Amino acid sequence: MIIVLGGLVIPPIAVLTQQSLTEALFDGSRGAFTFEHYERLFADPKLYVSARNSVTFATLSTIFALAFGGIIAWVVERTNAPLRGLAYLTTIISLGMPFILYVLAWLFLLGRAGPLNDFYRNLTGSTDTLFAVHSMAGMVLVETFSWLPLVFLLFSATFRASNAEMEEAARMSGASIIATVWHVSLKLARPAILATALFVFIRSLEAFDVPMLIGTPAGINLLTSDIFFSIRAVPPDLGHASAFSVLLTVVIAILMYFYGRISRSADRYATVTGKGYRPRPFDLGRWRWVGSLLVLLHFAVMLGLPLLGLLWVSVMPFVRPIRFAALPFATLKNYEAVFKVPAYLTLTWHTLVIAAAAATLGMALMVVTGWLVARRKPGATFLDQLTTMPLLLPGIVLGVAMMEIALRSPVPLYGTLAIIVIAFVVRYMPYGMRYAFSGVLQIHRELEEAAGVAGASTLTVLRRIVAPLLSPAIAAGWLFIFLNAAKELSIPILLSGPNTQTMAVAIFEQSTNGQFSELAALGLLWTLLMTVFAVVFYLLMRRQSSSAYR
Amino acid sequence: MSSQTATLDVTGLSKVFRNTGDGIAGGIREANFSLAPGTFFTLLGPSGCGKTTTLRCVAGLEQPDSGAVRLGQETFFDAARGINVPLNLRNIGMVFQSYAIWPHMTVFENVAFPLRVAKGESYEKAEVERLVGEALETVNLAGFQSRSATRLSGGQQQRVALARAIVRKPKLLLLDEPLSNLDAALREDMRNELKRLQKQVGVTTVYVTHDQAEALAMSDLVAVIDQGRMVQMGPPREIYFRPRNAFVAGFVGATNLVHGTVLDRVPANEVGAVRLDDGRVVRCLFPDPTPASRRIAVSVRPETIQLSPASAPERAGFNRMTGTVVFAGFLGNMNRYSLRIGGDVMHANAAPEVNLAEGSEVAIDFSFESAVGIPMADEIAQGRSAA
Repeated sequence: MIIVLGGLVIPPIAVLTQQSLTEALFDGSRGAFTFEHYERLFADPKLYVSARNSVTFATLSTIFALAFGGIIAWVVERTNAPLRGLAYLTTIISLGMPFILYVLAWLFLLGRAGPLNDFYRNLTGSTDTLFAVHSMAGMVLVETFSWLPLVFLLFSATFRASNAEMEEAARMSGASIIATVWHVSLKLARPAILATALFVFIRSLEAFDVPMLIGTPAGINLLTSDIFFSIRAVPPDLGHASAFSVLLTVVIAILMYFYGRISRSADRYATVTGKGYRPRPFDLGRWRWVGSLLVLLHFAVMLGLPLLGLLWVSVMPFVRPIRFAALPFATLKNYEAVFKVPAYLTLTWHTLVIAAAAATLGMALMVVTGWLVARRKPGATFLDQLTTMPLLLPGIVLGVAMMEIALRSPVPLYGTLAIIVIAFVVRYMPYGMRYAFSGVLQIHRELEEAAGVAGASTLTVLRRIVAPLLSPAIAAGWLFIFLNAAKELSIPILLSGPNTQTMAVAIFEQSTNGQFSELAALGLLWTLLMTVFAVVFYLLMRRQSSSAYR
Repeated sequence: MSSQTATLDVTGLSKVFRNTGDGIAGGIREANFSLAPGTFFTLLGPSGCGKTTTLRCVAGLEQPDSGAVRLGQETFFDAARGINVPLNLRNIGMVFQSYAIWPHMTVFENVAFPLRVAKGESYEKAEVERLVGEALETVNLAGFQSRSATRLSGGQQQRVALARAIVRKPKLLLLDEPLSNLDAALREDMRNELKRLQKQVGVTTVYVTHDQAEALAMSDLVAVIDQGRMVQMGPPREIYFRPRNAFVAGFVGATNLVHGTVLDRVPANEVGAVRLDDGRVVRCLFPDPTPASRRIAVSVRPETIQLSPASAPERAGFNRMTGTVVFAGFLGNMNRYSLRIGGDVMHANAAPEVNLAEGSEVAIDFSFESAVGIPMADEIAQGRSAA
């Protein structure tokens, strides 16, 4: 197992480091050792501009996502505001939507021809725009939306598990609702909030699609888009991209170290819970409608507006502002095209195959690994560390590494579906591990020992006892990898050849070719399909977590 | 400062939880009680009976459907007059089942919190320190001020919770099963200490528990609750020796219930004769006046039964039955016997040195006053009579 995992995890890191330290030679042979790439990197003033942009972008997105997501989660879990259930529906459906589609929807809604600026122009008669979406503000806004589902899910879990008596004790001590939330609820949730904030910050630093689609047209470059451009440069500057990637990885590694420490200290706040414990919501009284309004706003920005925007675009022959006058032009032609053009079908098929293969392979590996680690078999600690290593590699960095491996591989790997699948297996290894590991921990060791005493071999025990008992966790992990692999852009954009595009890559590549209307139709249908998977995922998670408490 | 105690009046308090499907899912109906200042009052009942709901209604954590709650001159809640004082303005001390010690604060900050957030009162720094010090001293935790709340044992957390509840000198103290999370030995110590503390502070206290020994040992007044109704309220001895129905008799201590019919009308608190279903006649005490021919159950506590050889002479003022020992269990501090008497099985506790073999014939004596006649109005008596 160590060999298999090591074979998956170590090469990308090794190749990156080596490439960043060797001279670039165009015939593919290995050049001499050099620090040149790093010198060039640090000497370039653009690096510092990009770094500052990246940090600003990640910081602001984190703050807004946490504030809005946290408030929504609190309203849903801890108050009696009406319409709370809507927030869950919103979150689940948005889990299935390829994020690139989101970006496109918001680009339309807030763009020059979009309803916001259109409305503004009609109102004022000016020819200006009220809001330029291709700006740092636009990037932060859309990136914030992208983190809301995760922040919401993490925080609502925190609030649900918190001991309501802590808050009631504060109220009995004479504190008002606001004082209680400030002095007790927020302070108790602080480790969870910090851990989530750092996590979102790290992932925003790694973000690729928003910087590419929104930032680049405005000339705002981030670290991730810089890496992409040095790969897409002619000729590709692999050494520079590698040095860049190593740098970004080091930064992420440092942040991850702090993340690990913070999330461990969160356990310190675990508290005794009364036996008759049942969380009771705060009564917001007359303020209940404010809570409902927030939930509605959440729904509008996460689902309502983007979907409406896409729907509008998808029934129009070309992109045009939302007007009654345009209604007669409405057509289903774009949907017809989606079903008729064989390329789209191939695309769908490829994406499903890649995602399913990555999920199956990844979970198969992680079930065995998770079992070995949970049962403290020899080498467990090392295996555990191996599986968390990919967390250090941002998607775009892993893409660069995998590309270099593919280019050097004796078997032709570049441009195949296989290399994308392998990259996804590595990328989602830590997440699969988390599902498998905590699943195994819930299985009492004696269930396995009983099978062993009954005469079963280790493999039989794994197959006949562990795997069936683990099936909810395996299914949840499988769906998680599947859903994310299906919408991930940063890895396949570097690895897919012309015949091995995935849905996200196709949408990205064609979004500039004016085929926006067809893309919208395609995207909506795709979202519908993914929503089904997302709902199943959510139901499985619920069942798993509810049985964990029994 | 005004005296730290007041009368608590609860009238017609109802709070019913309903399921979507099968109707009532717990709660309390028509609870009435009035507590003199300084009373230690216990709500006793099995889990889900509504005792915690009652407490939470008094606290203001739950809004009652109807009824009124008054403390001294102040009305906390009155459904008829539309009064509902928010819980944070009631100045009630409360200890929660999980203690709810805030882990992000020190012991000092936990206890000082009520002083810091109280509306309409502000305390000087020195005053806060003095009051917190006093409260911690009262619960024997002097010197623990700067200790982190996460580094406390269960018993210490409990004391901090108590200190926090009394620091603002409330006129009412509410305790929600505060001992249930402690281990057995510690529980007994804390029971005594809690009682001492309540006497010392003199605050009117409402205590919720499902443990009958706790209720009897600590309370001035006990209310037994069954399925959302207060079925009996009285001092511990009255609850134990004069249960008014089969539920109270069975829940507070163990008992034997034997069914029969009253022979002649009996006035309140007098001994009357009962013909048991197997034809024997016994005499027992009736707390309520009871007409002739009424079906009743006779409650006989296992520890009031005296066992002697079958040949022993009968004693005046005692009922005499004869039976066979079907099971003998030695528990160390006592012997526990199961006895077959006609068609019934009764349980008896005897001193450890009384040693009777299984299968032997014994004389079973219990005094007229120790047995209680209980009306059989409800179905519960039928269900539990086998015990």
